[in-house]
Amino acid sequence: MAGIGLIVVFLGRIPTIVGVTLLAIYAFKEFARASGLYRDWWMTGAVYAGIVTVGISSVISHPRGEEPGTGWYGFFVAVPVFEIALILFIPILRNRARGELQRMSLAIVGFIYIGWMFGHLGFLANASNAYGFICYIIFATALSDVAAFTFGKIFGRHPLRSEISPNKTWEGALGAFAVAMILPWILRFSFPFFGIWQLILTGLIVGIGGQLGDLSISVIKRDIGTKDMAATIPGHGGILDRIDSLIYAAPLFMHMAGYYYPLR
Amino acid sequence: MKKWRYDSSRDLERTPLDRLRQFPREPDILVYGLRSIVALIIRGLLRIYNRFEIIGHENLRTNRSLVIVANHCSHLDALCLLAALPLRKLHRAFPAAASDYFFQSVPRLWIAAVIVNALPFARQMRVRQSLSLCEQLLISPGTILIIFPEGTRSTTGELREFKSGIGALVAGRDVPVVPCFIDGSFRAWPKGKRLPRPRKLRLIVGAPLNYRACGRDKMEICAIAAELREAVNELRQRNGSN
Repeated sequence: MAGIGLIVVFLGRIPTIVGVTLLAIYAFKEFARASGLYRDWWMTGAVYAGIVTVGISSVISHPRGEEPGTGWYGFFVAVPVFEIALILFIPILRNRARGELQRMSLAIVGFIYIGWMFGHLGFLANASNAYGFICYIIFATALSDVAAFTFGKIFGRHPLRSEISPNKTWEGALGAFAVAMILPWILRFSFPFFGIWQLILTGLIVGIGGQLGDLSISVIKRDIGTKDMAATIPGHGGILDRIDSLIYAAPLFMHMAGYYYPLR
Repeated sequence: MKKWRYDSSRDLERTPLDRLRQFPREPDILVYGLRSIVALIIRGLLRIYNRFEIIGHENLRTNRSLVIVANHCSHLDALCLLAALPLRKLHRAFPAAASDYFFQSVPRLWIAAVIVNALPFARQMRVRQSLSLCEQLLISPGTILIIFPEGTRSTTGELREFKSGIGALVAGRDVPVVPCFIDGSFRAWPKGKRLPRPRKLRLIVGAPLNYRACGRDKMEICAIAAELREAVNELRQRNGSN
């Protein structure tokens, strides 16, 4: 999974954005099928349109050239406004109220979390240090997932969140956290301009954010009452089960990096 | 707060490949959208490449369930019949496709399930089971079943005998049966050729028949199959170019 991701990243900016957008579309499809939202063509159609818009805003430049480089950051961060406006408009257009709050909520969560937050990974392809950022965040979240699993298997005693995900343990989470905190120093060549404070923040985002992403998808699955979101990859569940920690960590990482350094 | 009820799809544990094989399917808007777009492209190609033409289109204008019966010479036949239906009815139209041919290899499976919306028909074993699946589909209004009662593509372009299963499906059932003749599909894409050739295609739609009053014994079922074959043959003689 991470391997295919890295190959696409090295094909260039637009393949990366297209790949992230397709992945987001498929991940939302899994979410919609699991939550039953897929029966509502209007809502799912609006979310698919929103995800494509996120992709487009990452590809194009600012129409009046007021932003440096590629990608229209101002529109990218404003897409949720338009998307939520569209989603809230749909029940009014169809003159329906019964059950609409649930549909609107599912559509908004689906778009913001799976479409827009994951879309940040695509927008990162516009950064001047795109390769370093994207490869690091994909590799680090994958490695911290593996670390959580391994440490949990070896030392796991105390359940982390028994109501949400019975197999995760405090020991596994701490192991993953430790790996994520050390990794920025080992792979410092990915972002040579980062200072100590930024390296610590990177470790915190991947170490804590990755775990929270995993748990937040588990909350959704737990409430729906399914073990996996889908069976897309045999033995590994759905696409959404694979990218869960990336969805949470990538946008936090991008805004952290964007706060301290010019992104493009 | 009352608990929300999530109406999950019933095939969450199935792999994508298994989902293509299952019937009835549970597609979402992505599949519907893709199918509609490809249908538009196919319609355009048939018009330009094969100069596709429909005669007797008014016989298909109904909102009831119906069974379309046609001769079968090539893969173009099902595409021609689908091209004669309005786009919004496309997702309720099921061409019966041989499960031993279309539901084995992955590319064919994908085309059959996503693009053509085919109904897997077991033509060697479990014919009765496939027929009862057809009967269930016909209960809900607006279903269109496309059936080639010859059972396989003709290798000579001649009309073969109709299998009696079509009689068993429509006997004693109040459902219009529309006989159709597709002219030119044998010349355009005979069995064994890799790609279609730019030959003229014509679809001739006959007047609907009804077998509501017929009994379901063997004799009458065979008589219905023969009568439908005669109806298709008549369309060919009346309008066919050969």
